[in-house]
Amino acid sequence: MKEIDARGLRCPLPIIELGKQISTLSNGEEITLYSDDPATEPDLNAWSRMTGNKFAKLAEETYLITKN
Amino acid sequence: MVRVTGNFQSESPLDPKAFEVLHAAFESGWANPGKLSQSGARAHQLRNQALESIAASLGVAKDSILPFSSLSMGYFLGIQGICDRSSTLIHGATDRKDVFAIAATMDHEILPSDLHGKILAPKAQSPTSVLALHVANAETGVIQDCAEIVGRVNSDRVFLDATTSGIRKPISCEYSTAIFDSRSWYGPADIGFLVVNKAAQWHNPFPHLNAAKVNFDAPLPLIIASAVAIENFSSRVTEARIQAQVFNAQLRQAFSQIPNVDIAGSLDSTLEHMLSASFMNCNGEELLRGIQNDGFSVDSGSACTADDLEPSHVLAAMGILTHGNIRITLHPDTTQSEVDGLISSVKSNVDRLRS
Repeated sequence: MKEIDARGLRCPLPIIELGKQISTLSNGEEITLYSDDPATEPDLNAWSRMTGNKFAKLAEETYLITKN
Repeated sequence: MVRVTGNFQSESPLDPKAFEVLHAAFESGWANPGKLSQSGARAHQLRNQALESIAASLGVAKDSILPFSSLSMGYFLGIQGICDRSSTLIHGATDRKDVFAIAATMDHEILPSDLHGKILAPKAQSPTSVLALHVANAETGVIQDCAEIVGRVNSDRVFLDATTSGIRKPISCEYSTAIFDSRSWYGPADIGFLVVNKAAQWHNPFPHLNAAKVNFDAPLPLIIASAVAIENFSSRVTEARIQAQVFNAQLRQAFSQIPNVDIAGSLDSTLEHMLSASFMNCNGEELLRGIQNDGFSVDSGSACTADDLEPSHVLAAMGILTHGNIRITLHPDTTQSEVDGLISSVKSNVDRLRS
């Protein structure tokens, strides 16, 4: 599974990097995103609504994104 | 340095008539209105006239208005003044931080927001609860259905934050206290007005020895300038709202053509002169700078432009994209060419930042 370590990066860089990486995946494939930016979680909410992709928070600073 | 020709920030220059009168007021309104000297009596008269004028514009009784000198003070006076030790404060997730700060000192419950910025009211509450509600949001302009929420919460003590809506959106529900910001009608900064609608429910929350005499106020020249500004804006508020609605519709139409944009609220559910839009994959600070370099100033709720790294709690509560955000305020003197220029600037800067 792909991983993106965006810790230390400020918004919107984690979401931009996620957007680049997810475009290389097929439907149903997953990416783990690590991010400590406080804007990442609320932005993932909006991003998943706007793009149709899904996300789940696995732990602090750790998110599982599924391409849809 | 680029000359900024289009101001779309929430702040704006003081109403010119209010500016003129401010200077005169410092000359004639310097005395203590509470003293029995001739100059004091003159100041007392000026103060009364100004408060009468403001009360008339707000549609409230003159005796119900109390000026204060900072917004944080206004929130404290309006909310704590109707709370007691057993009160639970109920407020919205998109309220100003001042409300959160007061809530942190007592039992409280936060009402969530939906995607459109509307506060979701619970089914019923204890009558001992105190409800704090904004008439319209300071970041997005989203207007709350105050009467419906007040009815559902079933609290007999209600604080209304009318600092953003001012006289643009008349209050449509029962309330105990409300606060207004003079800047909402292009009056001076650092002065607001507390309206105590149900005197029996309000007490002065500041330590005091004489309950019959309030121990807070605002400078008389600012009160007089506020009165002149509200008189002036009252005479053109309808025209300003109609014009802003036309421009706002143009901005929304243009921005909705840009892919991956998240616009807060709809034209029907927000104040006509406000618009908040977030552009995915754009850095808010770079977007702001690019627009400024084109000669337009806007505000932003993006964390990428703030010092504390925290995203806008309003956008986060709504579930709106918090990065790449710009906030636009349409003033009465905003022109069609400025709106056209801003649209062009936003489009080109979003394109540039995404490429």
